[in-house]
Amino acid sequence: MIKVEKLNSGYGKLQILFDIDLEVPRGEITTIVGPNGSGKSTFLKSLFGLTDIFSGRITYQGKDITYIPPHEKTKMGISYLPQTNNVFTNLTVRENLRIAGYILNGEELEERINFALEVFPELRGILDRKAGSLSGGQRQMLAMATALVRKTKILMLDEPTAQLSPKLAQVIFDKIVELRDNYDITPLLVEQNAKRALEISDVGYMFVSGRVAYGGSAESLLNHEKFQSYFLGVVGIEEC
Amino acid sequence: MIDVLIGAMVWSNLLVLLALGLTMTYITTGVPNFAQASFAIVGSYIALTLLRLIGLNPYLSIPVTFILGGILGLSTYYIALKPLIKRKASIEMLMIATLAWDLILFGIIGAYSEVLSAITKKTETLFVFTSLDFNIYGIPGRLIVSSLLVLLTILGLYLLLYKTKFGIALRASMENPSLAEAMGINVENTRLFSWFLSGALACMAGSVLPYLQEIVPQTGYFIVVSIFAASIVGGLYHIVGALVGGYIIGISESLFTYILSILLGPGVLVYSKVISLLMMIATVLLHPRGITGTEMWRRVERWLNL
Repeated sequence: MIKVEKLNSGYGKLQILFDIDLEVPRGEITTIVGPNGSGKSTFLKSLFGLTDIFSGRITYQGKDITYIPPHEKTKMGISYLPQTNNVFTNLTVRENLRIAGYILNGEELEERINFALEVFPELRGILDRKAGSLSGGQRQMLAMATALVRKTKILMLDEPTAQLSPKLAQVIFDKIVELRDNYDITPLLVEQNAKRALEISDVGYMFVSGRVAYGGSAESLLNHEKFQSYFLGVVGIEEC
Repeated sequence: MIDVLIGAMVWSNLLVLLALGLTMTYITTGVPNFAQASFAIVGSYIALTLLRLIGLNPYLSIPVTFILGGILGLSTYYIALKPLIKRKASIEMLMIATLAWDLILFGIIGAYSEVLSAITKKTETLFVFTSLDFNIYGIPGRLIVSSLLVLLTILGLYLLLYKTKFGIALRASMENPSLAEAMGINVENTRLFSWFLSGALACMAGSVLPYLQEIVPQTGYFIVVSIFAASIVGGLYHIVGALVGGYIIGISESLFTYILSILLGPGVLVYSKVISLLMMIATVLLHPRGITGTEMWRRVERWLNL
């Protein structure tokens, strides 16, 4: 669905990512893990067009989207939800959902909002509350619901369970699986909660210092010694 | 005393219109527009021109000044700012650009006043409209018109921002432009709209200003302090801040100066802007986000369900 070839990108003159090769298959959950500063979030931003791309190629369903601006990618069905500031806190929940479908006409917009509320019924009772007054879990659900309103085909989520309790994190992971299984949405995750994220994933990548250190099935990554050394503390980082 | 109160209210109304434009462009473009006061003086001269050339009452010229002001606001963005924004200029560079644009407008206004003087065979470098004002039951027209303009502007802005799709997009773009872009909103259009409205409101205020005070090409330099003080005291990050700040600064400036002139003599009157300046400095030092950035204000908003 998305294919990245030899991607080099960063901010201004500062290069963060080096020669990234990666594939996101349709209908599967792909998760990127890695230590802090490994370039995971920058990678999602690069896919969405929010960084400076120095070289390389990004294709989406066979079409070159390397230099396409973010609002055009949105129209193509690509959504990106940043870790923070992923909803408009001064707007109500209803307004957030309406604005998410800005490019849709009135009737279609109402259909999509109803669809998003079917997937996230938790939002029905708080439609007139300002997003700034919601809990972390509610905000994350609203952010994901906005992606559904705008006919998302691939949903890029930057640490969707950050700062959530284990119970709420589980709810979010369950929703991600539901999106894949029931709504033909391809999730692409960046997660610090690496073990739990890979357990629900089909494909896994591990970034270290801006490079792909490993790529393969999520299960194989979970059992890989590099993953175990970084995340489960089997051996020290220096030894790795 | 009643005249002072009327003057304070009219000045406050005009400050609200001027500060609204300054706040909107600051929120959408991130640059304080130092040419905002000159926009108003352009409006004053447009009203004067229509009065002299076709005999149109300045109040009736308000729709024309609104549209021409909007075009001036757009021109400012397109000519002075957009080329620099494209080159990723710093905020300091953009501020200097608006300052330079202000100087250009000042030069154009000065030259234009001379040209108009030559055409009308009168001195047009200094003028007032006070003799043209009307009265209804002792209430001067400038108070009625300026209050109506504020009411219509607030009502129009409320309907636009809260009841239309474009308005919600505008609010979204003001809060988080990069997320708004991710939603498929063309953030550039919302910037253009704010610059149009900023110029339009300022020129509209400018066409009423000569009913309150003498206008000379340099008048913009005298009133710019009050406009910035209104926006900053109210809160540069909140549209309502312009409304709150406009009334606080407008009334304080007029009434404090009046009281001080009684206590210390009429010589104090020329220092009226010092009050705005002091309030602005106090706000920047004590609470840079202004009144609408305080916790108390947020409580009021929650209470009003805004």
